[in-house]
Amino acid sequence: MSPQGETSRQALVRMYHVSKSYLPGAYALRDVNLSIGKGELIFLTGPSGAGKTTLLRLLFAAEKPSEGSIIIGGRNIARLSDSAVPTLRRRIGVVFQDFKLLQRRTVEENVGLALAVRGEPPRQVRSRAFRMLKQVGLQHRRHHAPVSLSGGEQQRVAIARALVGEPELLLADEPTGNLDPELTLEIMDLIAAAAARGTTVVVATHDHSLVERYARRVLHLQAGELAEAGP
Amino acid sequence: MTSLWRALYFVRTAIDGLRSNPVTSAVAVGTIATTLVVMGVFGLALKQMSGIVDRVGQDLTVSAYLAHRLDDEAVRELATRVSTVEGVASVEVVTRDEALRRFEGAAGDRAGLLDGLVENPLPASLEIALASEERTEAGIARLVEAIEGLPGIDEIGHGQEWVDTYGRVLDGLRGVAAALGLVFALAALLIVSNTIRLAVYARRDEIEILALVGASRGFIGTPFLLEGVLQGTAGSLLALAVLWAGFELVTALLGATLAFLIGHGDPVFFDAPEIFAFVLAGAGLGCVGSLSAVGSAWRAA
Ligand SMILES: Nc1ncnc2c1ncn2[C@@H]1O[C@H](COP(=O)(O)OP(=O)(O)O)[C@@H](O)[C@H]1O
Ligand SMILES: [Mg+2]
Repeated sequence: MSPQGETSRQALVRMYHVSKSYLPGAYALRDVNLSIGKGELIFLTGPSGAGKTTLLRLLFAAEKPSEGSIIIGGRNIARLSDSAVPTLRRRIGVVFQDFKLLQRRTVEENVGLALAVRGEPPRQVRSRAFRMLKQVGLQHRRHHAPVSLSGGEQQRVAIARALVGEPELLLADEPTGNLDPELTLEIMDLIAAAAARGTTVVVATHDHSLVERYARRVLHLQAGELAEAGP
Repeated sequence: MTSLWRALYFVRTAIDGLRSNPVTSAVAVGTIATTLVVMGVFGLALKQMSGIVDRVGQDLTVSAYLAHRLDDEAVRELATRVSTVEGVASVEVVTRDEALRRFEGAAGDRAGLLDGLVENPLPASLEIALASEERTEAGIARLVEAIEGLPGIDEIGHGQEWVDTYGRVLDGLRGVAAALGLVFALAALLIVSNTIRLAVYARRDEIEILALVGASRGFIGTPFLLEGVLQGTAGSLLALAVLWAGFELVTALLGATLAFLIGHGDPVFFDAPEIFAFVLAGAGLGCVGSLSAVGSAWRAA
């Protein structure tokens, strides 16, 4: 019963017999076993309702599993106390389909938020946010409000926010679901670049063209059950 | 440095929050102010009445009437003895002659009543003043018990009954004020907590995003607490302004009547420590109200 997809690399994430049911008797995830190596780029696929979002939410401790253990960096987060959740999240960047940017803050403040919550001094927050925005090509927009940006630009801001704290793990839930095909590639290239620099990346998507283009390891979910699909 | 800029962040976020929900903020401030005005009116009324009891208490003495057979020496000895009793502030000797003079002064044109008597029938007495904390029914009873059996003391008299009645009325009023204050404070807590709950709800996206990037509960919740404290402080200042204006108006219109009602002395407004306590109460109300709102928001999240 060893977790599926054991790789030669050191694992950053392992799941053992993880199940999640929101309602009694109905499983969103069922007996999921997996291992994700450090620096891997993994696609999580499956039809709508298969449990992709649930799996990601378990990883950043937005939900607790009903059964099983989830080991991230050697620590079981299945029974994490509420007060330990922020510390875990500072090691994980998360990107969503709907960007989740604060409309009342500037682009730079949104990116800096991930550092500000750790208590970094404002000057350092600003300079790191600026450098990160430069990496995603949006430094000239740093004083704008997110609404004044296009969807692709907003997602680049969200990625900058997710990466500015140099997380070990980047989780992206349908990050290109709201974007045109060419913007999709732009965003995916940014995400793949993070993996190339050593960040472990999990991308949930039902877009098979992405999977084919990047030809990486694929975890396929079907009605809450996991099957490895390979590149 | 970190904590300084963090504090600035909290203040900024709290003020931001107040500005983005001006109506709910105004309602919270108004509720706290209303509560505190009602409590303040009671407080001011009680303050005037306690003043009377204090003043009456200062005049309150216990008289120990002495046997005729005591000579001046013995009276002085007894006075010294009584002054050592616990709770006694001072002892004044009223000689028989002095007693007669006082009687004549008080009786006025009926002073002739005693003219036919060869001897002064009035006894000498000790007028015993109690320390202020002993000026109660119990304190008087303790004194009476302590001196009752002393040789030479015939009779003990005191006029404390109405003071006790007044004190009891005052205690009753204090109880009513405390109960009403509690009811109003609870109502204000409920409204403040619901107001903050609305503010929390209005900013749930922001809270979600902060939580996602790893903000601690304290980091997310402190601005809301601060909002409550600011609302409470503003409410108490508003209430103080209303109370003060009302106080000035009432004393201007009814000054003479009031002065008569509360005895000698002018009506008094809250002093500095009381004003401080008042503002603190408002801030506390706001703080506790928002604590409960943020707490329930966490449990719901
Ligand atoms: N908060 C929730 N309460 C109840 N059921 C939920 C909740 N979230 C997800 N589900 C259910 O769990 C299953 C998996 O959902 P989800 O993880 O969102 O799938 P996906 O992201 O692959 O579309 C679905 O049947 C969905 O209805
Ligand atoms: Mg989903």
